[in-house]
Amino acid sequence: MTGHRVFVANRGEIAVRILDACARLGVETVLGASAADTDTLGARRADRTVVIGPARSTDSYLSIPTVVHAAIATGCTALHPGYGFLSEQPELARLCAENGIIFIGPTAEQLEALGDKLRARELAASLGVPLAHGGEADTLAEANALAEQIGYPVLIKAAHGGGGRGMKLVEAADELEHAWSVASSEAESAFGDGTVFLESYIRDAKHIEVQILGDAHGHRVHLGERECSVQRRYQKVIEEAPCAALSAENRRLLHESALRIADALDYVSLGTVEFLYDVDRERLSFLEVNPRVQVEHPVTEAVTGVDLVREQLLIAFGEPLSFEQADVTVSGHAIECRITAQDPDADFQPSPGRVTRWRPPATGGIRVDSHIYEGYLFPPYYDALMGKLIAFGADRAAAVEQVQRALDRFEIAGPRTNLPLLQAITAHPDFTANTVTTHWLEGMLKEAVHG
Amino acid sequence: MMDIDFEELAIFVETLENTDFTHFLYEKGDVRIEVRRGGGDVPAMPASSPASASAPAAVVSDPPVPATAPAAAPASAAPSRVGAAPTEDDIVVAAPLLGTVYLAPKPGEARFVEVGATVAPESSLCIVEVMKLMNTVHAGTAGIVTAIHVTDGQLVEHGQPLFSIRADAAA
Repeated sequence: MTGHRVFVANRGEIAVRILDACARLGVETVLGASAADTDTLGARRADRTVVIGPARSTDSYLSIPTVVHAAIATGCTALHPGYGFLSEQPELARLCAENGIIFIGPTAEQLEALGDKLRARELAASLGVPLAHGGEADTLAEANALAEQIGYPVLIKAAHGGGGRGMKLVEAADELEHAWSVASSEAESAFGDGTVFLESYIRDAKHIEVQILGDAHGHRVHLGERECSVQRRYQKVIEEAPCAALSAENRRLLHESALRIADALDYVSLGTVEFLYDVDRERLSFLEVNPRVQVEHPVTEAVTGVDLVREQLLIAFGEPLSFEQADVTVSGHAIECRITAQDPDADFQPSPGRVTRWRPPATGGIRVDSHIYEGYLFPPYYDALMGKLIAFGADRAAAVEQVQRALDRFEIAGPRTNLPLLQAITAHPDFTANTVTTHWLEGMLKEAVHG
Repeated sequence: MMDIDFEELAIFVETLENTDFTHFLYEKGDVRIEVRRGGGDVPAMPASSPASASAPAAVVSDPPVPATAPAAAPASAAPSRVGAAPTEDDIVVAAPLLGTVYLAPKPGEARFVEVGATVAPESSLCIVEVMKLMNTVHAGTAGIVTAIHVTDGQLVEHGQPLFSIRADAAA
């Protein structure tokens, strides 16, 4: 892959992951780091690091003109946005395209279409993809009528929200008016667009998502599903692949639905189609499409053997996919734990500071994706993710055992971390029995406090 | 000891061309190799000196390559500067943001300031351009410009030193 130079517009573990993938392809890299991030592992690994701005991310990692300017001025041919930050901003994709820089992700138009959850919902509906009842309502009267029709509880969602942001749960009709106006004005201030819609609320569901890949030559494949039900405030904590709770029939429907959406979008790049799975009713419903690499991509890599970031890079460089759907097989089971510098005993307060001890477990079947090293000063400016521990086993039970052992052997000192919580979750009978749904963790935390 | 493998040196310089360095110093034993390009901040260089990062203007300069000198050679390598040389007490004006630096208001025009110029806090020193948005950098302090650390048209990072200024009180 000579001739390409990739600008990495991100930080933390994902920057390291992208730099590694580039290095293995023989692609040069330039890392755009904030002034607070010049000591990171990424800064050591990149062929070159440029300081794009101060610690505050609005003036560094979130400044579209700055990252594009830095990419051009350092002779980069492509830009990888990672996840979070600018990864889903159509404006970044557009500015890259205008300046002859390959944006490693879908097109600006696709990002726009997917950023509008209402439009994505309509697309899914038009394709016959299973969906929660609901839809758009322009007025409170319409919302009332729609809520009556689909039945309470309902969820009010912002069209331009995502990842749980801009959502309001409405249990009964008398709460609707208030929730409707609050949701709408919150959406207006947070996303610059007050459009909201209603969906029937599924109380007890598993979060399931399908990894998709599409190249510029019309080939599209899925790489099986992940389950990410262990969540706190819509933030995933533990993810796994595959989802062991699905019937073969529902798994087929899930994969087909994801591919149908990818096909309709003529999707190019790496993406994820998210669903909820109502365990009692065995019913799937489409949530949204995430047009980027995801934090939890390693569990899919573990069970398929496909290097997703490598594929994402090659697709962006115009290469055709090197395999077909029939070549994709899922074997074994993988579980990922997100290790964060947060104190579970103090309402998950961030705990930045000097990492005085960082000893990942030296044990089989383990992968650690991280930007941490001993002596690293964990900065207070960004998210709390320190790294990801991924355990692999022949089946789910073996993977659970493996992850428990690895967590027990993981030594971290300095910042307080969620390691004790991860140990408690993975040892919990509900987790080992695989009955966890998206609200389980909050219940477990409450029990831990009161019990 | 005077042995210099010119082929090796050529590879060296070629490798360096692929990076965006402006100043490279190599010392091993009593071998000392110094490579500069882009004109540095030597005032004699035309302001329109190569701006494009890929320009392989690997200027080999004082002392002429391959220079062998005792390791303790006087720091004659330091670019000559008009007036007082910058000292640690000088105020460093750093780039407020990443971008391309322009030392003149427009191509072909005189630079905002030269070394030795007297500046007021509101004096313009340079422009940092980010995707065609021009940001003027002001002196922020009154004094005399003792050094210009950048070349016209080069990429500057956030926080990179641009100018040194000797504050009035010390002048």
